Amino acid sequence: MESLVMDGNNLDARASVVSRPRDGRPGVPGTIPRLVRRLQDFPLFAPSWQQYLVAFANAVTLTLLNLWLQNWIGYQAIALVYLLSIVLLALIISRGPILLGTLLTAAAWNFFFAPPPFAFNMSDFYDNMMLVTYFVVTLTVGHLTGHLRTQRDTELRNRLLAESERLGRSLLNSVSHELRTPIAGIQSASSSLRSCAGVPPEARTLAAEIETASLRLNRVVQSLLSAARLQSGQLRANLEWHDVADVVRSAARDAGPFLDGHPFEIRIDPDLPLARVDHVLLQQALSNLIVNAAVHTPPGTPITVSARVEPPHLLIDVADRGPGIPADQVQRLFEPFCRLPQSAPGGTGLGLAIARGFLEAQGGSIHAGPRPGGGAVFSLRLKLTPMTRVPEE
Amino acid sequence: MNSQPADPAYKVLVVDDEPQIQRLLSLALRGAGYHVSVAGDGETALAGAAFARQDLILLDLGLPDMDGIEVLRRLREWTQTPVVVLTVQDGESEKITALDSGADDYIMKPFNTGELLARLRVALRHGSLAGVEQPLMRFGEVEVDLARRRVTRAGQAVKLTATEYDLFHLLVRHAGKVLTHRQILREVWGADHESEMQYLRVYVARLRDKLESEPASPRLLLTEPGVGYRLEDN
Repeated sequence: MESLVMDGNNLDARASVVSRPRDGRPGVPGTIPRLVRRLQDFPLFAPSWQQYLVAFANAVTLTLLNLWLQNWIGYQAIALVYLLSIVLLALIISRGPILLGTLLTAAAWNFFFAPPPFAFNMSDFYDNMMLVTYFVVTLTVGHLTGHLRTQRDTELRNRLLAESERLGRSLLNSVSHELRTPIAGIQSASSSLRSCAGVPPEARTLAAEIETASLRLNRVVQSLLSAARLQSGQLRANLEWHDVADVVRSAARDAGPFLDGHPFEIRIDPDLPLARVDHVLLQQALSNLIVNAAVHTPPGTPITVSARVEPPHLLIDVADRGPGIPADQVQRLFEPFCRLPQSAPGGTGLGLAIARGFLEAQGGSIHAGPRPGGGAVFSLRLKLTPMTRVPEE
Repeated sequence: MNSQPADPAYKVLVVDDEPQIQRLLSLALRGAGYHVSVAGDGETALAGAAFARQDLILLDLGLPDMDGIEVLRRLREWTQTPVVVLTVQDGESEKITALDSGADDYIMKPFNTGELLARLRVALRHGSLAGVEQPLMRFGEVEVDLARRRVTRAGQAVKLTATEYDLFHLLVRHAGKVLTHRQILREVWGADHESEMQYLRVYVARLRDKLESEPASPRLLLTEPGVGYRLEDN
């Protein structure tokens, strides 16, 4: 999504697009707070020259009003009228303009109303006290309302982010469901047909072809959804202790139907420690690499997955004996939709980008390079975490 | 169909809101000799389970009227009928919640019919054996004598520590069924250690070393990626 701009106006436009909870803002419900919120949503909210103008206009207007009011009320009461105006103003404008308003009104009060009139010097101790109190009250109110507004905006922004994340997730989930349900239909029907008694062998073969195609389609859908999830920035790695051998075996099982006759071998150091990884993400990254190797190497060439420790890292290599990767193309390889010249058709062009994203999401990295003796090797590198001791018996 | 007919026609309730999946599942299950009834939403499913005794419930978690997990919880308030849930591929947390809420197994969409039927057979057998412990059980070349707490592999006695035996015994009691990490940790190590996944990993590796003929490619103690473990029961 686009970046959020900290601006009262903009924030609110978004808030109304995303369903806003009833009276969802922090604060007390009621007519007056609602009115205040309205005012706060006014474009004047961001500190700007308009706000300074408002503060200035307020000082001028109030001074004219007070010059008229002084026929009935004393100069101390006039100070209270000024104070009231500044406090009300603090609800809608920010600290800087409030400071200006305070200075102007204090000066006006001192000059026009506090004895001696039409002079800035004040002799009375209580008048000076009043001036000091005036400053303290207006600036405190200005500070507090400013603070509240910042807090409100942070909360609003967080809620908006959470809401848009939730919407994104439910959209992805529903797209996933809508795409996978028909695939489930195809796979279920073709696998039933394949194992049905009395079906002629040619039909059985065709059913098997349909089933393989549905598996591939499912993998494409999986890739697109993974890419969408990566791009939306909603990916959270769920780190847990895992036996890497288990993850490698699961990935190999996922990639199994796509190996197309490539001899496949898993070589895992038996003393491999447990690793703190996200099983689902690592498994998909690995199976993408295995399928990628199977697609881009000549039939019959072997693919090997091996895992070992090189302190402080855990390395998982997916190695093939294919044509290898031109050195100048290695950097581009992990970009989405990257396709190397002379590479085999097929695949979404997302597999490696997803593998990299999924590795980075759990603090790992991925590198590609030539394999000694010919072919390419993709290396997954994960940082090993020291494990808390398992109690012995 | 490919499988032997299920004896005296087990009754299966299929809960899914997609008409096509309903049809395909009914077809496959009827072909395998089951009695099938269908519910398109949670309320109908709960009513269907209450009005007629079911031997197994196949429950899709994405229902139009209520959360599938909620249906499962309400079912578990009064019945122990085996429930197998259907989930989408990325629903790791959903699977775990379903299993922790009392589901017997899960099947990911899209699914292969043969695999689905195999899972249902295991769940049905498990349902009919619930509470019955046979003193002597066999898994491949591993034999367990529950009464004497003895485990042998290919006729050779296997020495298990107390915790290893507890873990294996738990898996044996639920053979064929997926147990979540949390369920196993709570049973074997206690509720305080529910999140100490590393204990489980270490002990499963030790059990595999002692019980599997090829610990590097286990056939007995199977990992359910991201969810838990299952003892293969053939």
